[in-house]
Amino acid sequence: MLSVRHISKAFPGVQALSDMQLDVHAGEIHALVGENGAGKSTLTKIIAGAQAPDAGEMSLDGKPVRWTGPAAAKAAGIHVIYQEFVLFPHLSVAENIFIGHYRRNRLRAVDHAATERAAAELMARLGVRLEPWRLVGELTVADQQMVEIAKALVDRPRLLILDEPTAVIAGQEVEALFERLRLLRDEGVAIIYISHRLEEIFSLCDRVTVVKDGQWIATHAVGEVDRDRLVTLMVGRDVTQFFPPRADAADVAAAEVVLQASDIRLGRRVRGASIELRAGIVTGLAGMVGAGRSELAMAIFGGLPMEAGTVAIGGRVFRRMTPAIAIRQGIGFVTEDRKGEGLAMLQDVAVNVTAACLDSVSAGPMLQSARERSIADADIEAFRIACFGPGNPVATMSGGNQQKTLIARWAHTCRSVLILDEPTRGVDVGARTEIYRIMRELAARGVAILMISSELPEVVGMSDRVYVMREGSMPGVLEPGQITEEAVVDLATHHRHAA
Amino acid sequence: MNGSLLAKARGVGAAKAPLAGRIMPPGFTSLLSRYGIYLFMVVFLLVAAVAAPSFFSRGNLSNLVLQIVPLAIVACGQAMVILVRGLDLSVSSVMATAAVVATSFSGHDADIPSIVLLSLAIGMCAGLVNGLLVVKRNVSPFLATLATMIVLQGLRFAWTHGAPSGLMPPLLHRIGAGTWGFIPMNLPVLLAVALPLVLVLHRTTLGRRVVITGGNPMTGRLLGYPVDAIVIGAYMLSGCLAAIAGIVLGGYAQIVDNWVGRGFELDSIVAAVLGGFALSGGRGNVAGVIAGSIVLALAGNIVLLIGLPVQFQIILKGVVIVFAAACYARR
Amino acid sequence: MSATILTPPATPRRVRRGPSADMLRLLMVLALILAIIVVGAVVTDRFMRPENFANVFEQATDLALVALGQSLTVLTGGIDLSVGSMISLLSVLTSGLIDGNSAMVLPVCLGILAGGTLLGVLNGCGVVWLRVHPLIVTLGMGAILQGVALLYTRAPIGSIPDGFDSLAYGRVAGISVGGAATALIFVLVAAFLRYTNTGRTIYAVGDDSQAARLLGMPVRRVILLVYGASGFFAAVTAIYLVSRFGSGQPYAGADYTLASVTPVVVGGIALSGGRGSIFGTLLGAYLLAILNDLLNFLHVPTQIQLVAEGLIIMAAVSIHVERGRRS
Repeated sequence: MLSVRHISKAFPGVQALSDMQLDVHAGEIHALVGENGAGKSTLTKIIAGAQAPDAGEMSLDGKPVRWTGPAAAKAAGIHVIYQEFVLFPHLSVAENIFIGHYRRNRLRAVDHAATERAAAELMARLGVRLEPWRLVGELTVADQQMVEIAKALVDRPRLLILDEPTAVIAGQEVEALFERLRLLRDEGVAIIYISHRLEEIFSLCDRVTVVKDGQWIATHAVGEVDRDRLVTLMVGRDVTQFFPPRADAADVAAAEVVLQASDIRLGRRVRGASIELRAGIVTGLAGMVGAGRSELAMAIFGGLPMEAGTVAIGGRVFRRMTPAIAIRQGIGFVTEDRKGEGLAMLQDVAVNVTAACLDSVSAGPMLQSARERSIADADIEAFRIACFGPGNPVATMSGGNQQKTLIARWAHTCRSVLILDEPTRGVDVGARTEIYRIMRELAARGVAILMISSELPEVVGMSDRVYVMREGSMPGVLEPGQITEEAVVDLATHHRHAA
Repeated sequence: MNGSLLAKARGVGAAKAPLAGRIMPPGFTSLLSRYGIYLFMVVFLLVAAVAAPSFFSRGNLSNLVLQIVPLAIVACGQAMVILVRGLDLSVSSVMATAAVVATSFSGHDADIPSIVLLSLAIGMCAGLVNGLLVVKRNVSPFLATLATMIVLQGLRFAWTHGAPSGLMPPLLHRIGAGTWGFIPMNLPVLLAVALPLVLVLHRTTLGRRVVITGGNPMTGRLLGYPVDAIVIGAYMLSGCLAAIAGIVLGGYAQIVDNWVGRGFELDSIVAAVLGGFALSGGRGNVAGVIAGSIVLALAGNIVLLIGLPVQFQIILKGVVIVFAAACYARR
Repeated sequence: MSATILTPPATPRRVRRGPSADMLRLLMVLALILAIIVVGAVVTDRFMRPENFANVFEQATDLALVALGQSLTVLTGGIDLSVGSMISLLSVLTSGLIDGNSAMVLPVCLGILAGGTLLGVLNGCGVVWLRVHPLIVTLGMGAILQGVALLYTRAPIGSIPDGFDSLAYGRVAGISVGGAATALIFVLVAAFLRYTNTGRTIYAVGDDSQAARLLGMPVRRVILLVYGASGFFAAVTAIYLVSRFGSGQPYAGADYTLASVTPVVVGGIALSGGRGSIFGTLLGAYLLAILNDLLNFLHVPTQIQLVAEGLIIMAAVSIHVERGRRS
């Protein structure tokens, strides 16, 4: 249906796409994979008319097309759901869905009642129960995503492009999304599905196209390739060892417990969860989004005040934690929201990596820029942060490098524990392996690592022990030898076969 | 304004991932946004020198500095508030109140300690109220400080019964308007304010904590910084500096009315923004603010020197604001 | 994984539709107005006379008009701090050009309205094309306009022909014509905001301008529109003030710059944009007018009236936040 040929696009200093090609058929879900910066988003934007290609042609149903803007592509039935939703939090569900295409009454005025009825119909078609008058800002992320999809259906889309739709949802929500996408496919809609999570491609998609460095690498039917082959195509090198080796079972059992959190409670989100972290061991914390994992980690670090429970660390027992206490006790915390909570975006690498250890770059109250610089230089080297130097503002760096900057910050202070919440979210494959390596290196220094992750392969591949949370409580822990994707899923969902 | 009138964080397609090996140092625009104000200052000085040879006369220069100092002092405080994502509209009201306080005693130099202490206390209280409203009640800084401005204005009117009439202690008048040789006597006041501020903000751990908190309060919280205290402190500092500026300006004018410092709330914001402080917080340096104040004052001075009607002062100021901001303080 | 039976993704919790946040806000302002009326009724029986209410209705007009334009810019997440100077300039031009000549009234007024709109659009251009923060653009524009006003005249200027003051003081059946017209304009603008595509786009732009741009909405046009409207209503206010005072004054508008924001936020329009109703602005203007009226009755000196006004703002915006958090 859609055919892209010889598309090239250059930005100042970067050749984003060169001689790119892509064919998408009606009624298929077509995966588009590649590292960050491989050109997926540029390609998406060109298909959606948001950017014009420098060269090459596109055709729809065999007829050549050239978009004058996003509106033209939309009129032709091409609809994009970006990773960050294009929604208005203070407008209602109905308005968000029909914005610009309201139902009108005889006076040509916007008919709010009719618009809401139409929205309700659409939601019913999607099998979602959402009151059309509710404000979108009050909805869960998964519901917001459904609003986005409903919005796409208004235009009777022929091609739907989803950019990492599962980056923000998990578990049941993902499955519900997939069901709806299959339904749309069966109605003849073509879908381009972009994701970093390779396992999703195998469960959802029909064909997959790999891009790398702005170039087309390969297109395969999903049945023809396996995970390792895809990674090799994406990275361009043989990735036999995606995850660094784990600790020996004996070492895991023998490792000293450095932090013991007991019966932590935090409103309805954490209802009595206990966890112990051991020196030099990577402990996974799995469960669905909303199961209370981030809240538990925040409570241990003191970012949220716990209502009950204790945290024992360094021979002391704390009933109340604050970030200041946690940092003094040698705990580090890499937040899941590096832009919103982690980094000072307008400041440079040096400021950000030394933010937690200001005492070590100062004499008394005075900062010592030379020491600050040398620490930043060392970090850039050790963590392989791609930047022009310590003075590079973090806002202009890629997600992976921002994440490494954030980890570098805490690597200075985490003598005992480092908590990482979704450490590889929005990070490309190359930077991922780096982050895994860094985690293992820190563990080798004797730091206890707590890794929260929604990606099962990551949980299984990285963790020496795995705690699983479900609806605020902690139904179980998996020791070495028990850690499989099935076991984690069983504990995270209601049907419990294993213990 | 708590991200309100300010840039919104949300947006699609975040930062473009630069390809490894292609990391470029900051470009021209970035340098311009950092150092543009100094360029402006130099250009203005050149224009002044060419257009009016009398510009570099001793009398004109010291008079110019006398006018710059009060604005620069307020703007320094304003900049601290902007640094923590705020805005302080109450500074003009604090200035006028401090000036009124200065003339409310017997008019002898012996009153100066009481005048200074009382003014600073008022400034600090205003800042405290602003800070508490913003931090604890989550009120938009624009409104919180607007309300404080109005309340303080009312209290001042009530105190003076509408027409302040008192004597300014002679020493304050000399500080505000006098020169020592050709050195304006209020210049040391600015130096006493600005140098410690530069030192603390750019060279100490406390300053670093303020900068990081301003850029991202949540980051500050997770780093264990006293975020609330930092924000409230910024407002209190702004109040104190406004009080000092009010005394200096009152001394310059000698005759004090209820409107000393009128317009300084907006001028100080402009000086801080021209000086490179982002309205979204977390960036800026104090030297730029002083340069910003100089540029604003120069605009007025040039008009007088080339003999245009005094009204052109405001017009040129407006043009400078828009033009300079368009050149290098874009959103 | 059956494709036919759909499982709802999230726990489907039925939520009852309550009054909207805007509605609650209007009720709150209304309650404040009623409270003031009750206090007034207790303190003095003259307060409850119809003439008094008619006076308040009339006195709120200028602030309501300028705040209406301000509401629109704030709804898009912007602000217009040039309105004060614009009023000053346009008011001296109005009276100066008419100068008692009744034949000039119509052409001058039309010219002033067009000029105000144009100046507003110029503000919008600065926001859109110079990409400078609206606060700075309009501040700069304000300085320029104030300077031009002072160039034109440094003292009250001009005069108005007989009958021109009926705009400000005219009454039909005891009700202020200007006040009624203003209320009608509010209704029309409210209908425009709620029932037209452009009106909804104004809210969308204020809620998330980035998203609006991505959806191909005419963001730039809407921004030009609201600043143009703000200039237009500043011009209307200028003409109204000339009618009220009989001449234009070069500082006539100075106090309106910040004052115009007060009814907007007291009425519940968020400074961050995209939220609130302009009826809130109208009620906010009435609230401030009736508060002043009450304080006059109480013989509270003007000075203290300011304190009361400031405290009301603090109270109103604090309560607002509390609501927002709970919902």
